[in-house]
Amino acid sequence: MQTAPSVEHAGVDTDHIHGHEEHHHEETFLTKYIFSQDHKMISKQFLITGMFWGVVGGLLSVLFRLQLGWPNETFPFLESFLGKWAEGGRISQEFYYALITMHGTILVFFVLTGGLSGTFANLLIPFQIGSRDMASPFVNMLSYWFFLSAGVVMLFSFFIQTGPASGGWTAYPPLNGLRNTGVNLGSGLGFDMWALGMTLFIVSSLLGALNYVSTVLNLRTKGMSMMRLPLSVWALMFTAIVGILSFPALLAGVVLLEFDRLLDTSFYLNNIIINGQLLGYKGGSPILFEHLFWFLGHPEVYIIILPAMGIVSEVLAVHSRKPIFGYKAMIISLMAILILSFIVWAHHMFVTGLNPNLGAIFTLFTLLIAIPSAIKVFNWIGTIWRGKIRLTAAALFAIGFVSMFISGGLTGIILGNSSIDIQLHDTMFVVAHFHIVMGIAAFFGMFAGVYHWFPRLYGRFMNETLGQIHFYITLIGSYCIFFPMHFMTGLPRRYYSYANFDTFNNFNNLAAFMSIVAIVVFLAQLLFLVNFFYSIFKGRKLEGEYANPWDSNTLEWTAPVERLHGNWPGDIPEVHRWAYDYSVNGRPFTPQNVPLKDGEAAH
Amino acid sequence: MQLTLSDNNLITDKKEYTGVHPQKFALWIGMATMTMFFAAITSALLIKKGDFRVWESFRLPNIFMVSTAVIIAVSVVMQLSLYCYRHAKFSAFRWLLFTSFVLALVFLGLQLEGWQKLKEMGLPLAGNLAGSFVYLITSMHGAHIIGGLVVSLVFLVSAIRSRKDPIYELRNIINPKRQLNLEMLVSFWHFIDIVWVYLYVFMVLNYQ
Repeated sequence: MQTAPSVEHAGVDTDHIHGHEEHHHEETFLTKYIFSQDHKMISKQFLITGMFWGVVGGLLSVLFRLQLGWPNETFPFLESFLGKWAEGGRISQEFYYALITMHGTILVFFVLTGGLSGTFANLLIPFQIGSRDMASPFVNMLSYWFFLSAGVVMLFSFFIQTGPASGGWTAYPPLNGLRNTGVNLGSGLGFDMWALGMTLFIVSSLLGALNYVSTVLNLRTKGMSMMRLPLSVWALMFTAIVGILSFPALLAGVVLLEFDRLLDTSFYLNNIIINGQLLGYKGGSPILFEHLFWFLGHPEVYIIILPAMGIVSEVLAVHSRKPIFGYKAMIISLMAILILSFIVWAHHMFVTGLNPNLGAIFTLFTLLIAIPSAIKVFNWIGTIWRGKIRLTAAALFAIGFVSMFISGGLTGIILGNSSIDIQLHDTMFVVAHFHIVMGIAAFFGMFAGVYHWFPRLYGRFMNETLGQIHFYITLIGSYCIFFPMHFMTGLPRRYYSYANFDTFNNFNNLAAFMSIVAIVVFLAQLLFLVNFFYSIFKGRKLEGEYANPWDSNTLEWTAPVERLHGNWPGDIPEVHRWAYDYSVNGRPFTPQNVPLKDGEAAH
Repeated sequence: MQLTLSDNNLITDKKEYTGVHPQKFALWIGMATMTMFFAAITSALLIKKGDFRVWESFRLPNIFMVSTAVIIAVSVVMQLSLYCYRHAKFSAFRWLLFTSFVLALVFLGLQLEGWQKLKEMGLPLAGNLAGSFVYLITSMHGAHIIGGLVVSLVFLVSAIRSRKDPIYELRNIINPKRQLNLEMLVSFWHFIDIVWVYLYVFMVLNYQ
């Protein structure tokens, strides 16, 4: 046993230290599962917390689909669960708005940002670049704990008397700018908790993101040049950069909002009359909030979709046994999306009285995003074209992602035109567009990642048959829920009931159909949960001390199956080639740490 | 004693890619996030100022000039303390760290006095938007100063504790990791001082 002084060892050659694998860190339950600083454990924490939020967010949508599908029916069992929020078995108007608000907040931020980026950035970045952990494992742990506490605050807001925030996930003032609007219960304490929860969430995201970027740029193993990184790492790094630049704007927006709410300033409020009484607010503008909100809000959709794109690129290449098509084009497209994401936010604001000339510029930039997106779609299809595709659950979900991304992306081109958007604003067409292109698509990317890397996380496989059933129900179901929304011409979103509009009566059966499918799809996700938790304990085990179940090239499969803080017992493998040598030079696959053979050129 | 895989051991200070310690690099990215935050707030001010119907012009109280001088002094003293640390003058290091801490507190006090002055000028927090922005900017900057003070306090406490305990000093004061952390603390203070200078100049230009 080697001995060493107990002072902290910055500057010490850690490879040397880790050369002795018997030096296992004594872990207690607390340090192993709760206050872990190991990126793999933090990844699991993010994933399981994200899954919890996925169930909550999905359940909320099932509840409001009951109202939308059968507006005249009553469901007495709801009253026993929800009490005063569903008196007589009918969801109250206040609670309906709380449901859609929290559904949006939870799924956008807690599942598809925290759950998705948190899980895969933590799992993949250190593993795939060949690093023992993040730049600062401590800050990484903090990131998770801020995420968890943000969630606790949000969850608590469901149990207060006035209910959770209910002014829309976009939190627009003036509805959310006053603590007592007289019309919206959720604008009270519920919204303050929303704001606190979001502040904690933003801190969590930023702490995570600065770690991810620093890790990728600084801690790559020997030979791992940027152009040898797997696309998943590229995508996760770009995601982090988008977050770093955009989340602070939302924080500023929320801080100003809380100033208005708690300290009676007038940043967003102007000449408000409630019950015939003119309030003292003067000079503010709610449009200012919209600018601050959408300066995050739009990049946010790329924060959600970029990790999914990275995961899918990786999964498709591995499971089609072919090099990724257009590696550099993929990176440049990611970069183009990153830059464009910051100059399109006003396309959410075409109906705010935005100067039409400015609207034209935002339309132009918005439509430009179609170019890198189309390049990526082309490259994914090029990757699986004539490949030896293994239709595993992971591969199916990755292909499903591409399908969803195309379907939803095409309506983006329609909505990006300001002249059309003014007609379609706040209709179900918009709901269809963003649920398909970033909601379902990002979920598919996440599922692809979970099925693919589950063996890396838990040393066991998930059940393949259940995974495929999960896939087909989710794919067909999602299209059945969201595709008809395109044709509900002019049906406004967020309405509690359409009963008073004769025009929309012919959609009643369609709405009921969508609600039934929504319930079925929700139950299919429970199937995934059962599969996940069952497989943690009883799944088919990986064979051997080192296992590479998908014959993959990336470095995460060169580490032992057993979880080890530091990832590799000996030296970190050195990298000699890019990540996509599949079916080249007569070999089915060649891991990145295999030295070049005679006559082989480095990629 | 067995060597453990403590988390500080996991990350080398390898500098082959960017030439900077990864944790220091992460701090810089953190500074980028704070820059974006203050950029968002100051651009909000510019947007509202463009609306001449609601903007009430006034001159920034002079006390903020004093606080600007104080915060520049914080930066200088902080840098000196780092210099002394590097040259193993630990007694001077302790005193300078303490002085910077006190100066930062003085800065916060001056900002509070500035709020008082604004109130006397007829610009309460919930009054005209132009005034509200000064409270907003100073309080958000102040929150970052308080954050810096908390970390400074941790250093200060261990520096004072090490005064009479050479073993403690060896373990907790004099080691490369400690120097790295101190360097990061000092750069945070420089950063947040520069942010204030920016905010001050920005406000002087927009309130006249």
